[in-house]
Amino acid sequence: MLRFTIRRLGIGVLQVLMVTFLAFFLFYVISSVTGADPAQRVAGKAATPEQVARVSHLLGTDRPWYEQYWNFLAGIIHGDFGFSFLQRIPVSQIIFPAAGVTTALVVGAAILWLLIAIPVGLIGALRPRSAADRISAVIVQILISAPVFWVAPMLAYLFAYQPSQGLFLGIHIPHITFFPILGYVHPEKSVAGWINSLMLPCLALSLGFAAFYARFIRAFVLEQLDEDYVLVARAKGASTGRILRSHVGPIVAPAIVTLLALDVGATLGGALFVEVTFALPGLGFIAFNTIQNLDYPLTVGVITFAALMAVLANTFADIIQAALDPRVRA
Amino acid sequence: MAPSPAEERIDRSGRRQALPVGSVDPVAKWDVDFRRSCYTVWFSDRASVCTASLQRGPVVAVVPFGRGGSQLVTVGTVPLEEPVAVSRGAVEQFGRRFRRDRVGLVAAGFLVLLVALAVVGAPIVAGLTGHDPTYQLPGGLDNNGLPLPPLSRELDAAGNPNPDGVFLLLGTDRLGRDVLVRLLYGARISLLVAFTATGVALLIGVPLGLAAGYFGGRLDMIVSRAIETAMAFPAILFAAGLAAVIGPGLVNVIVVIALFSWYYPARMVRSAVVSLKHQQFVEAAVSVGANDRRIMLRHLLPQLTAPIIVYATGIIANNVLFEAGLSFLGLGVPPPAPSWGQMLADGVSGGLYRVVPFVAVVPGIALMLTTLAFNQLGDALRDAFATRGR
Repeated sequence: MLRFTIRRLGIGVLQVLMVTFLAFFLFYVISSVTGADPAQRVAGKAATPEQVARVSHLLGTDRPWYEQYWNFLAGIIHGDFGFSFLQRIPVSQIIFPAAGVTTALVVGAAILWLLIAIPVGLIGALRPRSAADRISAVIVQILISAPVFWVAPMLAYLFAYQPSQGLFLGIHIPHITFFPILGYVHPEKSVAGWINSLMLPCLALSLGFAAFYARFIRAFVLEQLDEDYVLVARAKGASTGRILRSHVGPIVAPAIVTLLALDVGATLGGALFVEVTFALPGLGFIAFNTIQNLDYPLTVGVITFAALMAVLANTFADIIQAALDPRVRA
Repeated sequence: MAPSPAEERIDRSGRRQALPVGSVDPVAKWDVDFRRSCYTVWFSDRASVCTASLQRGPVVAVVPFGRGGSQLVTVGTVPLEEPVAVSRGAVEQFGRRFRRDRVGLVAAGFLVLLVALAVVGAPIVAGLTGHDPTYQLPGGLDNNGLPLPPLSRELDAAGNPNPDGVFLLLGTDRLGRDVLVRLLYGARISLLVAFTATGVALLIGVPLGLAAGYFGGRLDMIVSRAIETAMAFPAILFAAGLAAVIGPGLVNVIVVIALFSWYYPARMVRSAVVSLKHQQFVEAAVSVGANDRRIMLRHLLPQLTAPIIVYATGIIANNVLFEAGLSFLGLGVPPPAPSWGQMLADGVSGGLYRVVPFVAVVPGIALMLTTLAFNQLGDALRDAFATRGR
């Protein structure tokens, strides 16, 4: 187990190195080939070549790429992601608060999608082909196909904007504002406001995942219910609830935990579309605003951070899997 | 299926046909196993069952012999001019199953219609309405400068509906352009990008997965690590960054999307090949002297066509959304060329959809229906091929 863990961690480190290298290579090297020069961007269009050269020297973009990469790597080990070209403050000062926003959003969404998916999936598995199963299957298929950048504004319109006008689905209702249309309330200002400002974004982010998880849980549990051990448990008089809790649950749960770790890890790098739609200052929002400004240290910082989260989750999931199932360790 | 003598083969309608056979073991009976695309061989004297690859030429079976040993026996020959039985039979079976799947048929019908509308319908509709997707109708915005809702007519100079004006089935957009025409031209770009990017992804992923799974060893390790690393990438973030650096444009968008979808088929093909390569039809192919290339292309790849097609359909669905996502972020095909994601972004950014929701509803529904159709088609194909998928 220890050997497996060490090997798996080594692979994780290698993956992060690969991602940072490619991100670095992409933004620093390709951009210099295509002529997208950050120094020019910072210095402004009217700058003379001498000024651009000086800016380039200050930013360090005049050094050879391997030297820049080395400095970048050395910085990361100290938690230093470099210095934003445009905002002139350390990247870590931008990334860490943003990561907090994204984490709140993703964790909230994950709780929500499990709360939706587990009952829906179980109902489908226990009563396959029933009316409830068929209806939920249709909704699941639709939600899996609906892009999040469409679901988010639609939810904002239905549950935030229209109620603020005293309407819901075109019907007049009492004038109550449930949710803010966009924006983020910092928890230090108001915890209730913070929760309120995150509810719609969490819902928007969770719906697609909820559909996916419901389908997964339904299929998995349905398959397990056909197994002999369930028949034995039934024959011994166990209730359906007990079969689910004591027999099927322990088999299905690790798979869901693994899936959850991967999805949460991948989304922690920034729920780009939801954050952009609701103007939440998370990682995705930051990345979106900086990518087009050629603010490379910030962009690479966000990507590195996102990859770090994804790889960590991946590694974590594998190690958990190995701890639960000795066959994986080989 | 009952075993048939070596002198027969089963034709497309299920009838048994005489087959010229130069059999070394005339006692053996062999039959076509459509599900697994191979011959099943029964040996009367040894009471054993074997499988051999479905190929033109000699049918060779690996027969258990002695204690733990095995022996190669040629049980028959499919003459070179004879079509290989499986392709017809499998297609026949596939068609029969697919035709029974109503959801799959509807999805396929919708997609055929969509492609037809995009390819042929777009210029026809543009001709009928008299304007192209970038034309801003003079009466396309109301007096407040807002887009016109679906099922309305172009306005006259005073801002009243003009009975002689253009009928706008889906209304107009932010700049007073006809949404119907834009939607149809946008379908061209959505489908073109999704199909091409998926094609490129398959061209990268399938050979890599095939080679990695077949050869194993160091190559497999490199490819597997590459797949894992690629999957660790924050795809949308990175794709957005890449698109920003190499600039917008049709080809660039396709390249970016392909770079972030090749690893799905690669992973699937690799794991399928790993489990297939120790099967007897591969051993049989090796024993008759087939080289690696031939085994991969003629024996393994045909086994994988069904799952690859199913996967490709799912990847196309993903890529339709991927392109829309990039366009939504302003990193897709540059305007004024219409694209669904860009139309959606047009309606969402600045909050225009809050006043006139249809500007976001119409392109969103188009996107959702197309993705839904591809997903349903994928499911139907998987069922019809009787392959196990996700």
